[in-house]
Amino acid sequence: MSQTTTPQLPPTVSESKVKGTSPWAIGMRKFFKNKLAVTSLLFLIIMFAVSFSADLLDTHDPTKVDIMSINEAPSKDHYLGTDEGGRDVYTRLLHGGQVSLTIGLSITVLVIITGTIFGSIAGYFGGWVDSLVMRFTDYVLTLPFLVFVIVVKAIFVDTGVLTLIFVVSLLSWGGTARMVRGKILSEKENEYVLSAISIGCKPSKVIFKHLLPNVISTIIVQSVYLLAAMIVIETALSFLGFGVPANIPSWGNIMSTASTPEVIEQQWWIWVPAGLCITSTILAINFVGEGLKDAFNPKSLR
Amino acid sequence: MHTQKKEALLEISELEAGFMINKQFYNAVDKVSFKVNPGKVICVVGESGCGKSVMSLSIMGLLPKQVGKVARGTIRFQGRNLTEITNDEYNKIRGKEIGMIFQEPMTALNPVFTIGYQLEEVLFNHLKISKKEARQRSIELLSHVGIPRPEKIVDQFPHQLSGGMRQRVMIAMAISCQPKLLIADEPTTALDVTIQAQILELLRDIQEKSGMAVMLITHDLGVVAEMADEVMVMYAGKIVEQGTADQIFNDPKHPYLQLLLEAIPRLDEEKDRLYSIKGIVPSIVNMPKTGCRFVSRCPKAMPDCSEVSPDMGDVGFEHKVRCLLYPESYPKEVTEASR
Repeated sequence: MSQTTTPQLPPTVSESKVKGTSPWAIGMRKFFKNKLAVTSLLFLIIMFAVSFSADLLDTHDPTKVDIMSINEAPSKDHYLGTDEGGRDVYTRLLHGGQVSLTIGLSITVLVIITGTIFGSIAGYFGGWVDSLVMRFTDYVLTLPFLVFVIVVKAIFVDTGVLTLIFVVSLLSWGGTARMVRGKILSEKENEYVLSAISIGCKPSKVIFKHLLPNVISTIIVQSVYLLAAMIVIETALSFLGFGVPANIPSWGNIMSTASTPEVIEQQWWIWVPAGLCITSTILAINFVGEGLKDAFNPKSLR
Repeated sequence: MHTQKKEALLEISELEAGFMINKQFYNAVDKVSFKVNPGKVICVVGESGCGKSVMSLSIMGLLPKQVGKVARGTIRFQGRNLTEITNDEYNKIRGKEIGMIFQEPMTALNPVFTIGYQLEEVLFNHLKISKKEARQRSIELLSHVGIPRPEKIVDQFPHQLSGGMRQRVMIAMAISCQPKLLIADEPTTALDVTIQAQILELLRDIQEKSGMAVMLITHDLGVVAEMADEVMVMYAGKIVEQGTADQIFNDPKHPYLQLLLEAIPRLDEEKDRLYSIKGIVPSIVNMPKTGCRFVSRCPKAMPDCSEVSPDMGDVGFEHKVRCLLYPESYPKEVTEASR
C-alpha cells in the first residue's frame, strides 16, 4: 500500500509530548510522584553532600589524639563530644561518612559491572559458556565471606581501604551475575533479539545495545539495594576489626568504640550519632530502591 | 523459467536442518532443494510444524545455537555457501543483502528505543552514513511504507504504534538497505484481516518497484493466491509439491494439497461443516522412517505408500510432486527392480 492511499491524519495536540514517552521517562515521572522515595533521595543527596565536603565542615583533625579531653560530653567546642582518644566525634562522623559511602559506592560499582558482564555473557550465549561462567560463579559464591576477608586481612596486615573494596567486590558479584543471567535468559526469547541479529548486529552489540537496556531497570534497582548492603558490610567488618584500618575514621570504626558497656551506657554521644547515620542512610537507600522498583514496574498503579 | 536457471539468487540443495532432542538429532527440514530467482515471489505453504520457519531461520543463520543446526546441504546465496561463512561475513549479508520480517510485530521491535533509532541502526550497520542522513533516510523509509506523519512517528516508541504500523516499521527496517531477498515469515499472521490485506499490498508494491525477490512463508492459501509467482508446499519437513501459482491452484497433484484447497470455504457453496484434514502432522521425534509422511492421513493411500519413499517427480512444465500416485515419483531403484 502506498502513501497515497493512506489517509493523512491531521496533526494532533499530543504530538508535542512525544519526547517524554520513553520507558525511562515514564519511570522517572512515576518515581517523582512517590513522596517517600523522593524525600529519601533528597536526604541521601544531603548526606552525601555533607560527607563529601567534610574538609570544609569539620572543626578538628579527625585523627588527632588529645589526651587532655577524652570522653567529653557535647559542648560548644565539640558539638558531639569526644571519644576515648579525645578525638572530635562530629569531625570523625563527617570523615567517617565519606569513607563508608565511598567504600559502599565503589564496591557496588565494581560488583554491578563484573556481575553484569559475566551474567549477560552466560545468559546470552548459553550452552558450555553458560555452564563454565555459572560454575565459576557458584564457586565464588561458596567461598565463606567472613573467613576469606579475615584471611586476606591476616595476610596483608597493613592494608588500606583499597584491599577491602577489592576483596568484598571479588566475593559479592555472584548474586548480581545470577540475577542478570536470569533476566537475559528470559529477555533474549523476545523476537527483537532475532530481529537485531537479522539486521547484522554482532553478539556484543546485541547484548550491550539491545538486551541490557531492557534489563537495566532491574540492574539499577539491584545496585541500589546492593549499596545499602555494602555500607552495612563495611560497618560490620569495621566493627569486628577486619574492615577499614583503625586509624581511618569510618562509621563502622566509630561504632566499634561502643563495644564496652561503659561507652554504651554513659557515653551515648560517641555511638548514637553514627548509629543514626547508618540506620537512616540504609533506610533511605531502601526507600529509593523500593520507589525505583515501583517506577520501573509497568504493572504498578502509582 | 529455464532461462533463469543459471542466475538463481538463492539456491538451496539437500538442506537438512533440525534440533537436538535428548541428544539425538531430528530433522525438521529434510532434504529440501529449491531455487529463488531474482525478482520473483516464492511462497512456502504448509501447516504448523512442517518446517517452514526452521527453513527460513536456517537461511538467515538464526537457528538457536545450542539445539538447532543445519546438518547437511548447502544454502547458496549469490553463489556463496552460507553454511560455511563466518559470523562476521554473515553479519554483512544479514540486513544488507537479505532482509527479514518476523511474525510478531509486537515483540520484534526493541521496546526501549524509538522507531527512528532502530531504523538508523540498520543503516549504520551496513552503510557509511552520517547521523543526519540516516534520520532523513529513516523518515523517507517510513513514508515509503505508508506511515502517516513519518517525521513524528520516527521519534515514537514501539508501544505507541498499532500492530499494523509496527509491521510496516519492520518492513521498512527489512528493506532499508535494498536487499536482494526479503524473507517474510508469516508477516500477517498476527494482524487482523483488513490490515493483512494492506500489508500484503504494500509488500507486493515494494517488490514490484524494487525488483527484489521475496520468500513468503505462510499457512494461508489466500495469501499465496494473491502474492505468489511460485509455490512450494511443505509437509512434515519435505517439499511435497512445487510449481507456479497457476499450476498449484488449478492443477493440484498431491492429495495433501488437494485436501487443503478443498478445505477453503467458498462463497458460492453452502456447507454445514467446514472440511478439515483428519489427524495431525507426525511429531518430529516419531516421523515414519520409510514411505510417504502423509500416508496416515491420506484418503488415496496405497499399500506401497508406507513402504516406498517417494521422490520429487516432474509431472510436466517444472511442476513437481512427491506422491506415488504419479509414476514420476517412484524412486529409480524401485522402478528398475520391479521391471
